[in-house]
Amino acid sequence: MESVLTIGFNILSFSSIIVLVVLGLGVIASMMRIFNFAHGEFMLLGGYTAYLFYIWNMPIWLGILVAPFVVAFVGLILERTIIHRFYAAPIVAMLGTYAIGVMIRESVRGLIGGLYHQVPEPLVGFFVIGDISVSKWRAVVILVTILVVSGSYYLLKKTSFGLRIRAALENPELARVSGISTSQIYAATFSFGAGLAGLAGAMMVPLFTLYADMGVRFLIQGFLAVMLGGIGSFEGPVLGGAIIGVLTAGLPHLVNPVLADVLVFVIAIIAVKLKPAGLLSMRRE
Amino acid sequence: MTDDTGRKTEVTRRHLLQTAMWTSAAVATGAGSWVIPARWASAADPIKVGIATDLTGPIGFAGNANANIAKLVVDDINDNGGILGRPLEIHIEDTASNESVAVGNVRKLIQRDRVDVVLGGITSSMRNAIKDVIVGRGRTLYIYPQLYEGRECTPYIFCTGPTPAQQCDELIPWLIQNGGKRFALPSANYVWPHVLNEYARKVIENSGGEVVLEEYYPLDQVEYSATVNKIMNENVDVVFNTVIPPGVGPFIKQLYEAGFQKRGGRLSCVYYDENTVSLNAAHEWEGLASCLDYFRVLTREGDDPFSAKLAAAYDERYSGSVLFTAGSAATGMYRGLKLWEAAVNEAGNVDRDDVAAALDHAKISEGPGGPAEMVPGKWHCRMNMYIAVAKAGQYEVISRSPMVDPKEC
Repeated sequence: MESVLTIGFNILSFSSIIVLVVLGLGVIASMMRIFNFAHGEFMLLGGYTAYLFYIWNMPIWLGILVAPFVVAFVGLILERTIIHRFYAAPIVAMLGTYAIGVMIRESVRGLIGGLYHQVPEPLVGFFVIGDISVSKWRAVVILVTILVVSGSYYLLKKTSFGLRIRAALENPELARVSGISTSQIYAATFSFGAGLAGLAGAMMVPLFTLYADMGVRFLIQGFLAVMLGGIGSFEGPVLGGAIIGVLTAGLPHLVNPVLADVLVFVIAIIAVKLKPAGLLSMRRE
Repeated sequence: MTDDTGRKTEVTRRHLLQTAMWTSAAVATGAGSWVIPARWASAADPIKVGIATDLTGPIGFAGNANANIAKLVVDDINDNGGILGRPLEIHIEDTASNESVAVGNVRKLIQRDRVDVVLGGITSSMRNAIKDVIVGRGRTLYIYPQLYEGRECTPYIFCTGPTPAQQCDELIPWLIQNGGKRFALPSANYVWPHVLNEYARKVIENSGGEVVLEEYYPLDQVEYSATVNKIMNENVDVVFNTVIPPGVGPFIKQLYEAGFQKRGGRLSCVYYDENTVSLNAAHEWEGLASCLDYFRVLTREGDDPFSAKLAAAYDERYSGSVLFTAGSAATGMYRGLKLWEAAVNEAGNVDRDDVAAALDHAKISEGPGGPAEMVPGKWHCRMNMYIAVAKAGQYEVISRSPMVDPKEC
């Protein structure tokens, strides 16, 4: 029984991390129709910010709080200078964001000496409930994910800012005629998505290790989740992320880990084949 | 020019000229190629030493340490008159942690630069990719410096890093005494862990232990809750780990959080050196046992004056984040160069067969961690091995074994 609870908690916490990663990716993909290949590196920047606070002997929790704003700012600058030129050509956007990602990744690799670094959790250790031990920081990650997902949902679906974002993306011409500055909205959305990536990176880096390629694996899983859940809705990518997270953390309990790694992709690809528009698609054509 | 403390810093004309020479050499030979001639010349042609190592890519930290120590050793040899009265010229190529790039670059060393010996390669896949270019078609001597899974028994390839026997024979009985009999072998899914585990399993079983879990993971896996769960449920006493970064940090953290060490479990990892201490908080890897040919702590105790002198020379020249460690093949690189120097001196020329015949029984009386000698006919070398245990984030050497046999070939 304890074992089942421990396994359940670990699967839940890993799924939360994937959901947090996918959220920013999903917001940008769904709202702006751009696949941001630099998303993994935005996460890396978030993790690197937390790491800087650690090596500068400043509180790490502060670093984790600041990270999303730092990365959102970087996202804003990149959108205003480079990304906004790509909106007409999504394929070029993929290549462009990929190039930006490579530049960020290799710069960080140089800054951290190509090594692997730990960033301690702001809340160290675990509490023991009955016979199971629960990592404090993993519990925080689950809570933060729930808060951020509900907060983002509220922002995009219930506020007038969210309405303007959706208007600018549904029908840019009409939005502009109605007095909405679509270029500002795009910049804000991209920056918001980048900030979410920064938060994901900063939240997860204490659980894992800071290294230059940390974004790459999560980016691939993130894209898989977005495809699985479906582009165009807020809920789709979140659901996709949860499913990919459960499969990734859960399957190694059942089958050989190398096989599990492949199986996640096989299952996701079969699901996408059966429902090409995603599990929760909102066709807007 | 002054720095923040107002002290005059050493940016002299000579410094500038040296930098300019480096840059122009890099431009002349193409990206990733460096030629460093000796500071003196003689009537005789220089002897050309080729270094092929991973200066860039994920294991760049190790490759740069290899290039650094090679430059240090070669400069030292040149300052003492070179070999056979001839200066050494060092040719460095980047293998870029990428086998297909590496083959092209190593071919440059062989065909364009016509080097007399090649040292380098860190991963086994890299060695396998470049060895034929060097010793097969290249007809050149090759020295491989990294700790590895063994079984490289090819004429003209000499291995100067520790083998599974050197890393396991002393360590595993110690782990059984200081941990317990039930072993888990969590491993990254590539050649080194597979072959090392085969050997480790034999030693574990012969020493009265048993392997209750042997599992392989994708190289970039970072979530290990399933593994940790199995280790806890199976009442494992010793985790003999060959998971590599980036996975190893989260794995050790999750193991700690599950209470493995609190329950009396013993962690062990035979590539752990000074580069890996930043992977986890000190309390998470407390008690981890490693077995290598050199630990930095040997230089502090004052019992190995040569290692201390070498470390000081290295730090003086390369103060920064690129550390001189055993796990990154840098100690093997030192040993390889010095053994080769001894062999060329004995052979009296740089002909491949003559040098190989002399290298077959070459000896050096000092090196990082102690002396070394090739085992005749075996292409591997005897060296001192040390078991070190992590205490509060530092290694403490708890056992020394002089001149351990590689037991290869």
